[in-house]
Amino acid sequence: MAFGISVTIMFVILHLMPGDYITLYLEGIYVIAPPEVVLAYNQAYGLDRPLIDQYFSYFLGVLQGDWGYSLSYSRPVLDVISEKLVWTLVILLPATILSIIAGIAIGAYSGWRRGSKADVTLLNGMIFLRAIPSYWLALMILLVFAFYLDLFPLGGYVSLSALDTGIDLLDVMNHAALPIFTLFFFSVTGTYYLMRNSMLMTAGEDYIVTARAKGLDDMTILRQHALKNAMLPMVTRVALQCAGMLTGSIFVETIFSWPGIGMLTFEALQVRDLPLLQGILLMDTLIVIVANIGADMIYPFVDPRVEVGSDARA
Amino acid sequence: MGDALLCVRGLKVGFPTVDGVVKASNAVDLTIQAGETLALLGETGSGKTVLGMAILRLLQPNTRIEGEILYRGRDLLSLPQEEMQKIRGREIAVVLQNSGTSLNPVLRVGDQIAEAITLHRGLKGAEAEAAAVELLERVRIADPARMAREYPHRFSGGMRERALIALALACSPSFLIADEPTRGLDAVTKHEILALFSEINRGRSVLFITHDIEAAATLATRVAVMYAGEIVEIGPVDAVLSSPAHPYTRGLLESLPARGMRPIPGSAPSLIAPPSGCRFFPRCPCSVGRCETEHPGLVPVGPGHCARCMLYD
Ligand SMILES: Nc1ncnc2c1ncn2[C@@H]1O[C@H](COP(=O)(O)OP(=O)(O)O)[C@@H](O)[C@H]1O
Ligand code: SF4
Ligand SMILES: [Mg+2]
Repeated sequence: MAFGISVTIMFVILHLMPGDYITLYLEGIYVIAPPEVVLAYNQAYGLDRPLIDQYFSYFLGVLQGDWGYSLSYSRPVLDVISEKLVWTLVILLPATILSIIAGIAIGAYSGWRRGSKADVTLLNGMIFLRAIPSYWLALMILLVFAFYLDLFPLGGYVSLSALDTGIDLLDVMNHAALPIFTLFFFSVTGTYYLMRNSMLMTAGEDYIVTARAKGLDDMTILRQHALKNAMLPMVTRVALQCAGMLTGSIFVETIFSWPGIGMLTFEALQVRDLPLLQGILLMDTLIVIVANIGADMIYPFVDPRVEVGSDARA
Repeated sequence: MGDALLCVRGLKVGFPTVDGVVKASNAVDLTIQAGETLALLGETGSGKTVLGMAILRLLQPNTRIEGEILYRGRDLLSLPQEEMQKIRGREIAVVLQNSGTSLNPVLRVGDQIAEAITLHRGLKGAEAEAAAVELLERVRIADPARMAREYPHRFSGGMRERALIALALACSPSFLIADEPTRGLDAVTKHEILALFSEINRGRSVLFITHDIEAAATLATRVAVMYAGEIVEIGPVDAVLSSPAHPYTRGLLESLPARGMRPIPGSAPSLIAPPSGCRFFPRCPCSVGRCETEHPGLVPVGPGHCARCMLYD
């Protein structure tokens, strides 16, 4: 449903744009495009048919896995995207997982020990980190770790030697380290804030007093009673984070020349490859929707108050 | 009278807030004998819960506490944290005042009880679980084996109260603090819970916090009445309830439905800047001149019966 609406909106926006995208694209190639070339392109992309026809064939196509044809790659959009998506996931998955684990762990501790030295230090550190513009942070990381210290490569995803020896996992991980690191910093602060806040609320609950009254020690109460309750709101947060990370990957991939979806978005924007851009946006939407559905499906298993299949959240 | 099990001396509790320090306990003295049930009466906000929580040191960390709380001769207020943890749940247990929110929503009720059993009685796994089921049965929860595996949201208000009582009884504490265990319950459930208490109170010292005078009359051996952070009257249950000495206690009794339901006019004073003389002065129908400026002490008015009032000075 949500996906269908996105497809429609995307189609409408595309056709509300001044001029058609073929003309726009050809302007990048020819000074004045020869009319027969324009006609050929329009026929190839079905732009000579009525709009409503185009809409339905596009919609049906999307559902059947035909996401259109990229102008700049001259290949099916879905092929190009899925190829790049793998590379994005190589940096996105570790960064997301690490930032969620770290954000939850330090956020929980910080909130539990509210007002302590550790909490104040962590909180100020996170506020500072948050205040740094992300592209600047990315550039600094690149400059310091790759340029000055020369610990990691400046960019790309494999070394030149891969031409001879083939792609080597260790080499890829070496290239991926800095983008992962940057993405991690990009998202860990948000998780930390949310977890700390959630923990502050949980720490004031009556059942925490009950746990104290039992004679449990502080860390046991944190582990056995506070953590699970404070993590409930994080399930939804993780889904939202996936969406945020996709956006974040655009600048990280551009800065580190990482051949993923983010980089692809940047390229598609530059050459005005609208079918491709449209496909990327659809893929982003799809990922967010899937993540949300995932969160909704997981939720009943972590919160016993929500029955499987019901919608009410406490 | 037996020996003093718990002895509170000059307890002062202050909560720092942006508007000033809330003085929720003002030089409270209280002794609880082995095996007796002391009912702590008073309107909402008079400081009953704060007193109970102070005994177990469950108040928030920035709270200012002065005085002594002697349990079997040891001052709880100066015990190290680890020693205090050995007393909580094992020696002194509490039934918290909000039963609806006092059970962890994401843990099974049986596991929450078993946790205390494992901690203090050393029983593990299935043994602890069986002991938890036994406790649920003792507080008369129907089908205890099944309910032990349920989460708290499946429990009704009365059942949550019972589950909390079962949890408090898990390690057979010598001293039990029950904070308004009948609040918010319907009449039938209330009577069932009171019957349960008259059973579990036997052979145990209990501080039974309530604003329900009938409950105090059924369960207590002695009654203490709190007003604005102070104990204003204390004595044997019959003496206090049939011949109340303090004007506030009299007012409380007259506000009962059976006695004409005449509420005490006015409202409780601010605990940040309480009246400098008698704290009840602004509302007292029998005040004399010096009540406004002089703070009355607790004076004897009968055998084991004291009141904080100028009229008996
Ligand atoms: N954490 C706190 N911070 C500030 N004031 C508090 C806090 N806890 C209790 N109080 C105040 O202390 C007084 C006594 O509260 P309480 O002991 O809960 O009353 P009771 O149990 O008799 O209804 C009330 O005025 C309440 O507002
Ligand atoms: S001391 Fe005075 S004001 Fe206070 S209760 Fe007694 S008579 Fe009333
Ligand atoms: Mg209370």
